[in-house]
Amino acid sequence: VKRNQGAGFWVSAAVGWLVILWGLRGLLHHHIDTRPAQLVKYVVAGLVGHDAILAPAVLIGGVAVARLVRGPARAYVQSVIFIAGCILLYAFPDIRDYAKIQHMPTALPYNYTAQSLLAIAIVIAGVALLATVRRLLRGAGSAPRSQDRPRSTS
Amino acid sequence: MPSAPELLRSFTTDPDEPLRQGRYQSPLRDERLAAWLGASLGILFTVCFVTGMYSHIQQHPLTWLPIPAGPAGLFRITQGVHVACGIAILPVLLAKLWLVWPRLLSWPPLRQVADVVERLGVLVLVAAGIFMVFSGLADIALWYPWRFSFPAAHYWMAWIAMGAIIAHLGAKWAITRRTFARRDRRRLDEADPVLRTEAEPPHDGLTRRGFLTTVAAASGVLTAATIGQTLPELRDLAILAPRKASEHPINRSAADAGVVRSIRSPTYRLAVIGQVTHPLEFDLDQLLAMALHQAVLPIACVEGWSYSATWRGVRLRDLLEMAGAAPHASCEVVSLQRDSIYARSFVDHQQAHAATTLLATHLDGARLSPDHGYPLRLIAPNRPGVNQTKWVTEVVVT
Repeated sequence: VKRNQGAGFWVSAAVGWLVILWGLRGLLHHHIDTRPAQLVKYVVAGLVGHDAILAPAVLIGGVAVARLVRGPARAYVQSVIFIAGCILLYAFPDIRDYAKIQHMPTALPYNYTAQSLLAIAIVIAGVALLATVRRLLRGAGSAPRSQDRPRSTS
Repeated sequence: MPSAPELLRSFTTDPDEPLRQGRYQSPLRDERLAAWLGASLGILFTVCFVTGMYSHIQQHPLTWLPIPAGPAGLFRITQGVHVACGIAILPVLLAKLWLVWPRLLSWPPLRQVADVVERLGVLVLVAAGIFMVFSGLADIALWYPWRFSFPAAHYWMAWIAMGAIIAHLGAKWAITRRTFARRDRRRLDEADPVLRTEAEPPHDGLTRRGFLTTVAAASGVLTAATIGQTLPELRDLAILAPRKASEHPINRSAADAGVVRSIRSPTYRLAVIGQVTHPLEFDLDQLLAMALHQAVLPIACVEGWSYSATWRGVRLRDLLEMAGAAPHASCEVVSLQRDSIYARSFVDHQQAHAATTLLATHLDGARLSPDHGYPLRLIAPNRPGVNQTKWVTEVVVT
């Protein structure tokens, strides 16, 4: 399979860039609302924040987990870290309670630090339960783990 | 000490080689995994785009495309899906970006004209994708660290993100087709000679299938922990929802809107004016003495929360008829609040003449509270909450 080739690539690129230009035109045309100069800062910050900070940090974290956790437990630890990370990223503005300046009595009704920890605890319990069930099933003579099966290398 | 070219070679990747290469030896770096995540992202972003467009049309009505009055809960569903998919995207986006991150370090970055086109498209796609998810999640948490208008920026960036997805689809079509085509499809842990991906070697840690399951589980956990803000059946699970739908949330209080005095003023009147034969004016007692009707309607916020309630009040179509408006007249409902873009709300002829469109005085059997729009608020089927104007003082027939 070759990349970047064929009429399909160029047709979709042409259509896609037309739509992108339509969006850019809208951003610039409605500049009083969209404030392009400030918007660009947020877009670039998101890009740099992910590509230069978050992604390398995750790579380093992945190496650390691989060195610290060995055996079948590693998969479960990786699952818990990923799901917990997503929960914390999602809940970050709620935990920080940024909405308090809006003075809305019904907004953010919970203690989101406690609720996030509760959600992570439920995830840990669920993953631990899954690990236990799998271990019991393996002990009862069920099929070997997929990674132990011989694989085709063709 | 390695030389500079050696160092460059050790950290960079060859764009013509599979994802798993050089220093990036995780067995999870597999083209088919990237295709699975990419297809999921494409579907989720498209659902968000379509439902977002519907929300945009609701808030910026088109004269040639009237919004139907039914089904009454349509906007509740579309916006609930929009926000739920927007939340579910987060783990998928992070997983996909992690998987393909070594492509960022491709060297040489550009080998042919097509590379320039593709990489520019990917740059736009990643930038717009991150912005859309970040700004959407910040909005539902009512966090506005910026000074631009969220709806305008989110709307136009959605077009940019959608365009970048279309452009990317052509670049990855062959891999995606190979991954999902029934013929010759290989299991994820098998090698695929056409894609030149290797079989998954025995290793500790998540398998490729386990990785996909984990990403799906993360999306599922976030969805389950929030969807109860719009699905009453799952309210007890909504431990991370920004609102408690059971508490009948609001998005602007009477104090914040600066209407606390005017809504209690003895001079309060509702005027029905504009293109009518008999302009009308009512005080609150006259309105309450009129035939009041009841309707069970949802109020659905653009931020994804919603609840259904029993509303009672004067039918808008009765007022239009009394004032002598044309049978197909539309109108604008005007609030006492002045400093808001939502102070005037357009009601097209279909919604204005619906039997369940009310200027409500009661919510669930009790008089409206100031925060819920006392003395009078618009409640109509299939409309976003921001268009259900509170503290109504005028109906301008157009």
